[in-house]
Amino acid sequence: MNQSEGTLIRRLACDHQPAEKSRDENPWLRVLKKEAASWICDLPLPNRKMEAWRYTPVEFIDSTAFTVDEEAPFEALDPSDIEELLLPGSEWTDRVVFVNGRYAPGLSDLKTGNGMTLYTLAGESKLPSGFKRQIGQADLSDRFFFTLNNALMSDGAVIHVTGQSGARRRLELLHITVGMPDPVIHNPRHLVVLENNAGLELVERYTSLGKSSYFNNAVIDIHLSEGSELLHTRLQEESELAQHLSHLTVKLERQSHYQQVSLAAGGAWSRTDAQIIFNGEHAHAELDGLILAGSKQLNDVHLEVLHEVPNCTSREHFKGLLSANGKIVFDGKILVARDAQKTDAALNNENLMLSRSAEVDTKPQLEIFADDVKCSHGATVGELDPEMLFYLRSRGIPKAEAERMLCTAFANEVVSRISESSLRDHAKRMVLRRLASRGEAA
Amino acid sequence: MLTIENLKAAAGEKEILRGLDLQVNAGEVHAIMGPNGSGKSSLAHILAGREGLDVKDGSVTFDGRDLLELEPEERAAAGVFLAFQYPVELPGVNNTHFLKEALNAQRRNRGEEELDSVAFMKLVREKMELVSMKPELLKRQVNAGFSGGEKKRNEILQLTLFEPRLAILDETDSGLDIDALRTVSEGVNAVRSEERAIILVTHYQRLLDYIEPDFVHVLADGRIIRSGDKTLALELEKKGYNWITDSEAA
Amino acid sequence: MSTTAEQIKSYVESGYEHGFVTDVETDIIPPGLSEDVIRQISERKSEPDWLLEYRLKAFAHWQQMETPEWSSVHHPRIDFQKISYFAAPRKKDGPRSLDEVDPELLRTYEKLGIPLDEQKALAGVAVDAVFDSVSVATTFRKQLAEAGVIFCSISEAAQEYPDLLREYLGSVVPHTDNFYAALNAAVFTDGTFVYIPKGVRCPMELSTYFRINASNTGQFERTLIIADDRSYVSYLEGCTAPMRDENQLHAAVVELIAMEEAEIKYSTVQNWYPGDEHGVGGIYNFVTKRGDCRGDRSHISWTQVETGSAITWKYPSCILRGDDSVGEFYSVAVTRGRQQADTGTKMIHIGRNTTSTIISKGISAAEGQQSYRGLVRIAGRAENARNYTQCDSLLIGDRCGAHTYPYIEVKNPSAKLEHEATTSKISDDQLFYCRSRGLSEEDAISLIVNGFCKEIFNELPMEFAVEAQKLLAVSLEGAVG
Repeated sequence: MNQSEGTLIRRLACDHQPAEKSRDENPWLRVLKKEAASWICDLPLPNRKMEAWRYTPVEFIDSTAFTVDEEAPFEALDPSDIEELLLPGSEWTDRVVFVNGRYAPGLSDLKTGNGMTLYTLAGESKLPSGFKRQIGQADLSDRFFFTLNNALMSDGAVIHVTGQSGARRRLELLHITVGMPDPVIHNPRHLVVLENNAGLELVERYTSLGKSSYFNNAVIDIHLSEGSELLHTRLQEESELAQHLSHLTVKLERQSHYQQVSLAAGGAWSRTDAQIIFNGEHAHAELDGLILAGSKQLNDVHLEVLHEVPNCTSREHFKGLLSANGKIVFDGKILVARDAQKTDAALNNENLMLSRSAEVDTKPQLEIFADDVKCSHGATVGELDPEMLFYLRSRGIPKAEAERMLCTAFANEVVSRISESSLRDHAKRMVLRRLASRGEAA
Repeated sequence: MLTIENLKAAAGEKEILRGLDLQVNAGEVHAIMGPNGSGKSSLAHILAGREGLDVKDGSVTFDGRDLLELEPEERAAAGVFLAFQYPVELPGVNNTHFLKEALNAQRRNRGEEELDSVAFMKLVREKMELVSMKPELLKRQVNAGFSGGEKKRNEILQLTLFEPRLAILDETDSGLDIDALRTVSEGVNAVRSEERAIILVTHYQRLLDYIEPDFVHVLADGRIIRSGDKTLALELEKKGYNWITDSEAA
Repeated sequence: MSTTAEQIKSYVESGYEHGFVTDVETDIIPPGLSEDVIRQISERKSEPDWLLEYRLKAFAHWQQMETPEWSSVHHPRIDFQKISYFAAPRKKDGPRSLDEVDPELLRTYEKLGIPLDEQKALAGVAVDAVFDSVSVATTFRKQLAEAGVIFCSISEAAQEYPDLLREYLGSVVPHTDNFYAALNAAVFTDGTFVYIPKGVRCPMELSTYFRINASNTGQFERTLIIADDRSYVSYLEGCTAPMRDENQLHAAVVELIAMEEAEIKYSTVQNWYPGDEHGVGGIYNFVTKRGDCRGDRSHISWTQVETGSAITWKYPSCILRGDDSVGEFYSVAVTRGRQQADTGTKMIHIGRNTTSTIISKGISAAEGQQSYRGLVRIAGRAENARNYTQCDSLLIGDRCGAHTYPYIEVKNPSAKLEHEATTSKISDDQLFYCRSRGLSEEDAISLIVNGFCKEIFNELPMEFAVEAQKLLAVSLEGAVG
């Protein structure tokens, strides 16, 4: 273990003490952070020899002098400033806004009651001890960036939804990062808990104002109790210069249902570390993702689906679209424990490479310890089908246009899984923007 | 309209066309027949501009322009249309969207005004009736999940929609039952006109019962070895291709 | 064409024994590994200087390497100083008659259809009569010599074809490649050397049976096969009979080189002793096998049926260097009891228009653990590469495990790759259907498993395929229930 690596960030974590005047008035949080800070002193920085970091370089963490934003939350923004970032026609949803990792009540629009309650980690209202426990029980082990989040977290949302009859709640969790003169690392820490038979549509977005350089090291934990259902749309629209790491854990209890559609377009370095854990039988998870990697972008999806109990189903379908010198890393593992009989799991990764200098490293994995199961995975890598291109061109459609049509068709398989139309349109625009800009460097 | 002179072409190492000559004028319907492997489909694909077929010698002039210099989409805009023998499927691409984009791209290329959605839908519905195509097929993805007959009909729909100057139909009759054949032929006959030329590439005589050709050519061994009128096709039907190839050899 | 089985039979009947006897001193070099031991080995074999240098260089390198540790395969530490690196054939200590042989073993031989005399030979029973084995072996060598094919042991090659050997040895698997390759390069005991001249199609399937000293397969075997331009050879390695060996560790190296338009077909049927029901005493099989498609339009295919071994660690690989070259990997691996297998392949696409096909079938039963680990790498300049991979696992019983870890690395957009993996079990419906048609449960399983492996068996030379099917049946006996 080379202790000299990661010294900058390590020192930041070890030395970081919540400022006297900070809103960190919760002692339990302080204890948590202190423990994590001391833990990180001994953790090795991820490196190529670790299987989980084999294809993803992390030099940036050691070569950038990140700071933590100790100041009070960014008060300088008012609603008109963020107009451009809002989803058109989004009156249908409540909105919780985090600016630079801290809750911005002035920009949020939330009707409480009706089964949904919002707490914030740094907030004044008392956080029920059950939730404190859930956050506090995090398993740090050898996860460097996750531990970093624990050590440096300053704020986060705790969203609690109880089972109700009536219309399902909808919530947008919008992250806005405003660039600072020096590179800053933000560590939002969220918890979403759905009680028995609760339902929620959650849109989780990461955006920025202006092109700036920062590192969003976010954690979101989701607990789905018996019979609950979560429709989760994740849109990563970070600045092209930023780093983004999202740790996602979803725990499914009996008969719960998790459906995710994700779209990642931004960031110079972006990674999702997701774990889907089946704790109760007859639960179901479906994930559809589109990863866009263009000029100077690295996008990495690491996914683990853990079937610990019998009778659950999971489907993961990730599509990568690469242009310029973009790079995609995909690592998806399905693990079926010994007693998890009657598991039905399938994982697929398809990649479309549009340029010579793009690179794909994909590794779908299966670890199967039970026999009465149906498990499969598939991976493909290729370029635009020349037959299809010729057909379109022979009908008069110019080459560039024909390529765009086929790329859009490729992306649409994922985008069409978004049920809310304004959200879907927004996703389509994200794709079109990327396809338009790819003319730069092929 | 179309003049092909001494066309020689190969696919990689393999020679396919060995000096083909053909003259097609507006208003004419030409049938090109020949045994399998004679190069019929390759000729059609070369005219449409497919990669992988290299022209080694000869020329192709279309309306006074060098056709071989043009990109596939430019040929389409210039009025060349190839109805494929095996139309490819385009998963995820909506059929209506595709047809509209294509038509407008061609119009744009020619300096004509593009059609808006309303005008386009009106036009397309008219044409669909000509080919007895089910309207649902407009909502589906291009050729994905279409039966063989539906794919062919989709090609003919495009023919009627794009109104090309030169239509090349590559084995349009293959895989069709009598009813489908009849419908497809009606579509083709409906677009016959003084300004338009049609080339039918076919192996069997059957299609020519429905679409009467002005000229019939036999393509064998990379060259047109015999030309005649529609009676030639009937003779071929009776005597087989060997009759001609043997007599040519003699 | 091939009358392999007949040839085997006659060869064996006329005297396996000749392969065992070495006239010179039969003493053993005591256990331990040092430069001195290596010099002794080289001297005993009268090797040329350059070969000794090669060994020493490898040894020096090995000493600096660390024993590899893999996450999915566990074994107690191997003490390299306790192994004897040069030992006379074990024949001396064999049983005196079949009565002294483990009846279980004999029953297995019978099921595999191995003739009595061969059983004796395999069990190490001394054959008293002296047979004229030379004549049989000579016939083969004559046929091969007429074709210009060189087929001999590495030791012989060092004496008779040193230039050839020197040019190619270590060119595909350098001693620096991995820990066991380095060890092997230092202490390899013997192995097979094959050279097929330009334009020659080897007239028969070459097999380890025919090489004199075949049964004395050492721990550190080394195989080198060179197929020159436009030649063809099919090579069979292994034997379906369970092979015991006091030596637990087997670290072999196989190098294949295919020149322009040449084709090498390498088939392996291996049934090493898997150890007792507690997994004790089984063989550790760590092999580095690699094929270099050096010439344009060359073709190398690996076909293997692996059962047995306590631990298997092998990844037969192809480096697709020449344009339009083709690499193939077909494998059936069976693990049961406490066996662990971590096996797979690596296809490295470097030239243009290269193609690779990987079909891997894994069968796990009882508490066997099996992992497929594969790498398909497409280099930046590998235009139009094509890969198709299919990995299927069949699980029998609910205590076994099957794992798939494919690594796919693509740096060229014109590549087209398809990878698929499925896991399944023999369903009760399938079993019931077979049984309702009169088949016993065992037969039913055999039928279904054979169907599962059919694609692979089709790649094996015919007699091998028949033996492999029998082997599969025997391996799975009693696995269900």
